[in-house]
Amino acid sequence: MNTFMRWAGFVVVLFIAAPLVIVVPMSFSNASSLQFPPPGYWLGYYRAYFTSVDWLIPTWNSILIATATTILTMALVVPATFALVRHKFRGKGFADLMMLMPMAVPHIVMAVGYYSYFGDLGLVHSHLGVILAHTCLSVPIAFLVLSANLKGFDRNLERAAQSLGASPAKTFLHVTLPILRPGLVISSLFAFIQSFDETVVAIFISGRDAETLPRKMFDSIRQEADPVIAVISTLLFFVVLIGIAAPYFASALRSRAPKPSRPAGAH
Amino acid sequence: MTNYLQLSNITKTYGHFTALDDVSLSVDKGEFVTFLGPSGSGKTTTLMIIAGFEKASGGTVEIGGQSISQLAPHERNIGIVFQNYALFPHKTAVENVYFPLQMRGVSRVQGLRQAEDMLSLVGLKGFGHRHPKELSGGQQQRVALARALVFEPSLLLLDEPLGALDKNLREQMQIEIKRIQRSLGVTTIFVTHDQSEAMSMSDRIVVFEKGAIEQAAPPLDIYHRPKTSFVAAFIGESNLIPATITSAAAKTAESPTLGAFDYASTDVLTDGQKVTLLIRPEHIKLSRNPIEDRKNVSMVVETIVNYGDNALVIGRAGDIPMRVRVLGADVVIIREGEECYINWTPDAVFVITR
Amino acid sequence: MGMSLSKLTEKTNIWPWLLLAPLGIYMLIFFVVPLAEVAIMSFTEPKVSLANYQKVLTGALYQRVFLNTFMTAAFVTLCCLLVGYPLAYLMAHSKPRTAMLILLLVTMSFWTSFLVRTYSWMVLLGNNGPLIAFLQMMGVDKPPQLLFTRFSSTLAMVHILAPYMIMNIYTVMKKIDPALIRSAESLGARGWSLFRHVYLPLTAPGIANGSVLVFVICLGFYVTPVLLGSPREQMIAGLIGHQIEEFLAFGLGSAMAIILLVVTLIILTIYHRRFGLDKLWG
Repeated sequence: MNTFMRWAGFVVVLFIAAPLVIVVPMSFSNASSLQFPPPGYWLGYYRAYFTSVDWLIPTWNSILIATATTILTMALVVPATFALVRHKFRGKGFADLMMLMPMAVPHIVMAVGYYSYFGDLGLVHSHLGVILAHTCLSVPIAFLVLSANLKGFDRNLERAAQSLGASPAKTFLHVTLPILRPGLVISSLFAFIQSFDETVVAIFISGRDAETLPRKMFDSIRQEADPVIAVISTLLFFVVLIGIAAPYFASALRSRAPKPSRPAGAH
Repeated sequence: MTNYLQLSNITKTYGHFTALDDVSLSVDKGEFVTFLGPSGSGKTTTLMIIAGFEKASGGTVEIGGQSISQLAPHERNIGIVFQNYALFPHKTAVENVYFPLQMRGVSRVQGLRQAEDMLSLVGLKGFGHRHPKELSGGQQQRVALARALVFEPSLLLLDEPLGALDKNLREQMQIEIKRIQRSLGVTTIFVTHDQSEAMSMSDRIVVFEKGAIEQAAPPLDIYHRPKTSFVAAFIGESNLIPATITSAAAKTAESPTLGAFDYASTDVLTDGQKVTLLIRPEHIKLSRNPIEDRKNVSMVVETIVNYGDNALVIGRAGDIPMRVRVLGADVVIIREGEECYINWTPDAVFVITR
Repeated sequence: MGMSLSKLTEKTNIWPWLLLAPLGIYMLIFFVVPLAEVAIMSFTEPKVSLANYQKVLTGALYQRVFLNTFMTAAFVTLCCLLVGYPLAYLMAHSKPRTAMLILLLVTMSFWTSFLVRTYSWMVLLGNNGPLIAFLQMMGVDKPPQLLFTRFSSTLAMVHILAPYMIMNIYTVMKKIDPALIRSAESLGARGWSLFRHVYLPLTAPGIANGSVLVFVICLGFYVTPVLLGSPREQMIAGLIGHQIEEFLAFGLGSAMAIILLVVTLIILTIYHRRFGLDKLWG
């Protein structure tokens, strides 16, 4: 069973890896349509991406919307998470569940809702509309990450700070916030990615004015399969690679730094 | 100056559950008082009420004649060392110690110097730049102690601070904490469930049980003159024998199983009073034959636990389980399953009325 | 140390409500209301009636799409399991370095946009792609159409959703105590019987988690089926989008959306009762 599993596992590795890496050579291809292996290589489509307003504006829109979504999400989720993790009250179980609901609803359902609702409010085809919708969709993941962090937070640290003379506000500023920072960063990052990658709702409500990168890619793939998509895919591939690999390298570097020698016994 | 810390009629209830029931206690300035008791006895709750993290349902806390019941924790000027130390992981050792000074508006340069001095006092000179996770358990303990003392608190609270350390380190830290406490003369309350810790460190032990104080007395008094059978059983090893006073004048009592007893207690007792007799295992002797001028009881030996220099002999006298502590050399005369005599003088018998 | 300190906090307090209020109000306005609007539209567009549901539940086209969606989701889940289990096993039982590399790969895949991965499959399965070229090289004269078929959309969905399955199973496998396996071996379990009676049951929670997640996501999948699937074999999300975008048939689209939502919620509710929803996403 062991050998079988291992061989099957290696085959699956290829299955997972192939589609991830194939975009890299494709992005340097000089073919005007999908062709692999590429007939020749050039950087033309990179130039096309970095000079074309049609692609740069959606990219900018996505960054803008994801940033605003992250800020709004965190502003709403951080206090709510404190309430839900730190306090016991009637209806808490229900509130916990509600935080996760946007994750349970298929995005196409929300897309229909937003398309009609934001139509009434005059929010379709606007950055604000996409930000408001994306914030809803980012709440669950931000909450999950943050609440896991907060549950692991030792409240004695806050008690210690108060006993040492820190008012509740100063305790929050000097102790709670700095210690929770990694959790806050990861939570924000997840909210950002959730918004940056979100496609379905954006297809329905972003329109031409607030067109996001995923919407532009979707339309482009559907219509003409513009080779520039390979360029964007490659760029995104490397962003993700760096994002994931960076912590590994950082920890590898740190572990190489001289460790403090541990004295034998407490002197 | 007496009555430095005064707890008056403290009660604490959670719904229908009474966690503390009318706890009163006064502590002298510079005194080292230990709160001892099993889990859920109310010792930690009392500590948290003194620190201000819990609000008492009734009663007052005073320090130096001033009520602090209405003050927030950060206004109380009380140093606390938590069981898990609660060192701030994002700050170095010296920054941790500087923190209370920072909160009191001491400048960074002066505060850090003061913090370094305090670290030296607890034996951590040169470790200031390290983060807590780069320090051993004992060192973290010292940093926590330094941090709780650097701002000259009016009171030092230690919440089972030695629980996480291994045995050798714990004994070392007991001595160390005592030394530092004496040199600074800070009034200290130490919470533990470890009786040997309480015995070795305290000026006075307060035994908690079921949300009330059973007894507050110096360690040797607690050991030799326990007020209640709970205290007798909780501190050290004990043989507790139910009995009735037959003559208070002649100092005799009667146990249904073990017969007539002489005792030496000077407490006022009345004839016919139901009491519990306490005999510590080390006050009992073991012999093949009865010994004159002592109370002799025959016992069947069930188990012998050897500790090298001494041994614990567990047996049964009638239906009463008995424990006898004998020196290692003496135990060779007896084997498990054999019958022998145990005996003691009236001095060894202490009468507990509750 | 007596009662745990955290239990000793005060009970009645206005603070949690104050902290929760902004998000609560926000979710009400921007989550509950739009969702309610979908529900309302399903009954009122174009006029107040149950006609939309009647049409969606009895019309042959819609029934076929529902059935197709369900079968596809089930098949994709099964494939993800068959693909994910060996890989999770490989990760859980390799040397740390190998395991970390595979983990890196799976994480990469997980974080790479659906669109990018969908696009990759277009390249791989396209008429000028490597797979067709390979088939031709092997002597297949008229290679079949791979792209824009049920095959291509299923394959891509398996690839896209497999990381969910892998991570869930891997987490469980990682926690299995090796002593348990050794003791089973010492008791005479070998090979497949060891797998069937010991290993598989121990990993069942991970399989359940991963399967529910993959199945539920697949039910509502829009992007990949629309881009890679056969236009004649739509899935429900695609059909909803189609109704709204092409025909502005809000009533029909909403009715389908509500049915999709109800089915999804039923599955998740059953899951929630048994395991707790917060466990689902790890």
